[in-house]
Amino acid sequence: MNATVTDKAVSDVQHGPLLTKADITKSWLIYYMGAEVSNSYERLQSLIFCASMTPVLKKLYPNKEEQAEALKRHLNFFNTEGVMGGIIQGVAIAMEEQKTRGEPITDSSIIGIKTGLMGALAGVGDSIIWAALMPLLIALFIPFAAKGSAMGGIAPLVLYTGITIGISYALCHKGYKLGRESIVTLLQGGKIKELIYGANVLGLIMMGALAASYVKLSTPLKFSFLQGSEVVVQQVLDSIVPGLLPLAAVFAIYLYMLKKGPRYTVILLSVVAFSLVCSITGIL
Amino acid sequence: MSTLMLATLMGLYYWFARLRLGYTFSGMLVQPIVIAVFVGLITGDMQTAMIVGAGIQLVYLGVTSTPGGNVPSDPALAACIALPIAVKTGMDANLAIALAIPFGVIGVFVDQLRRTINAAWVHMADKHAETCNTAGIMRCAFLWPALMGFVIRFPVVFAANYFGQSVVEQFLAFMPRWLTHSFEIMGGILPALGFAITIMVIGKKTLIPYFVAGFFAVLYLKVDIMAVAIFGTCIAFLIRSFGKNEEA
Repeated sequence: MNATVTDKAVSDVQHGPLLTKADITKSWLIYYMGAEVSNSYERLQSLIFCASMTPVLKKLYPNKEEQAEALKRHLNFFNTEGVMGGIIQGVAIAMEEQKTRGEPITDSSIIGIKTGLMGALAGVGDSIIWAALMPLLIALFIPFAAKGSAMGGIAPLVLYTGITIGISYALCHKGYKLGRESIVTLLQGGKIKELIYGANVLGLIMMGALAASYVKLSTPLKFSFLQGSEVVVQQVLDSIVPGLLPLAAVFAIYLYMLKKGPRYTVILLSVVAFSLVCSITGIL
Repeated sequence: MSTLMLATLMGLYYWFARLRLGYTFSGMLVQPIVIAVFVGLITGDMQTAMIVGAGIQLVYLGVTSTPGGNVPSDPALAACIALPIAVKTGMDANLAIALAIPFGVIGVFVDQLRRTINAAWVHMADKHAETCNTAGIMRCAFLWPALMGFVIRFPVVFAANYFGQSVVEQFLAFMPRWLTHSFEIMGGILPALGFAITIMVIGKKTLIPYFVAGFFAVLYLKVDIMAVAIFGTCIAFLIRSFGKNEEA
């Protein structure tokens, strides 16, 4: 214990003050708050990344010229998923700190690590945080909302915000501590893939369950035969497999998107036209 | 509450939620189901607001953001306009969904405008970096986008809510039966879009049987959503070792 304290004191004297945990938390908070606020087509999240680094850079580079260089370095193109992106921030802070302590770290290696990690982490983050966790939490509480309870909106808001803040805070500090090598190992390891796989399985099961409850499609068609016996089409369909029409609707739209890409507007207009035609002709 | 007050509050909500302050917090604020809580509070009709909100939410379930942050459709604009009007006019949930859709599309253009204008602040920040003006950089990252966002976001929702209600009421009074029925059909089909998008976003064709399993679990076994979540989690854990061997 004493040894580490003196070590730190010695290194402070030799290399200037170290960053404290609070400095990193401050950086993390700025990034979390503003990741999308200033997002632009030109350089996406570069502005907020630079802004989030300001508390750290001000401390590390008292020399104005160096500070200006560092700020410009972090205005380079940057974009990733904001929760997982916390790791990159931690790594970047650690590298800037090492640089001021005389380690051979070039400007381009800092930029290189950021751009190298941002794509991979955006992929991981988009598939876990946005494509799995978010719809899952909403799905879980939609039945409350459908019954008219405010819980259906409050619960997902609180849970999603809480969980993701916890993750990104932890990742940012972890990234700072572990440095870049370990991040690469983490990304290549099986754990993250496993996590995404599991989340996707659960997500799809939930979506299926919700689709069964909330996609509503039935036909009023009836055919009367000469003998007076009547065939109600919906009853026939239900006796084969219930929910055939809703399931068909989901997959029709899915297959269209698979072929033509996510053309939401075309799909929406088609659904409108389809509904009008079916309403007028009495098919549905 | 007066229409003026309601329109103002909705305009402010839309501006604030779409400001995207707090990355995941605001990510949830723009969801119809959360907007419904706000509409319920200010109109005093939580029950209706939540039911209609759930309906609109289903259409946009998978619509979060795509890589690069492009908004494929804006659920917040759709809900901020359709929800209050639906609650005020006592509109059927299916009809409200149909009303919401066009606004969701308009919202995409508003966001494109925002991100185009936002480029100006990056250039400003470049200059601030030269002079180490860190306070200036912070203003570029937060203050200017917020002010500009107000200018382009607030008026849309305010105007639609302020003038929309009476227009919609008149329209509802004259609507023929075949048209109302077509809206009912539409309201029944559109949630399928939300699910299809989610399957698409997850993007693993080999996992589609899980979707089908969940679907028929509800229809045949009559389990509710919470039960599906519990069993689903167990299944997700159980197949973990199995999944490792596959290209995940």
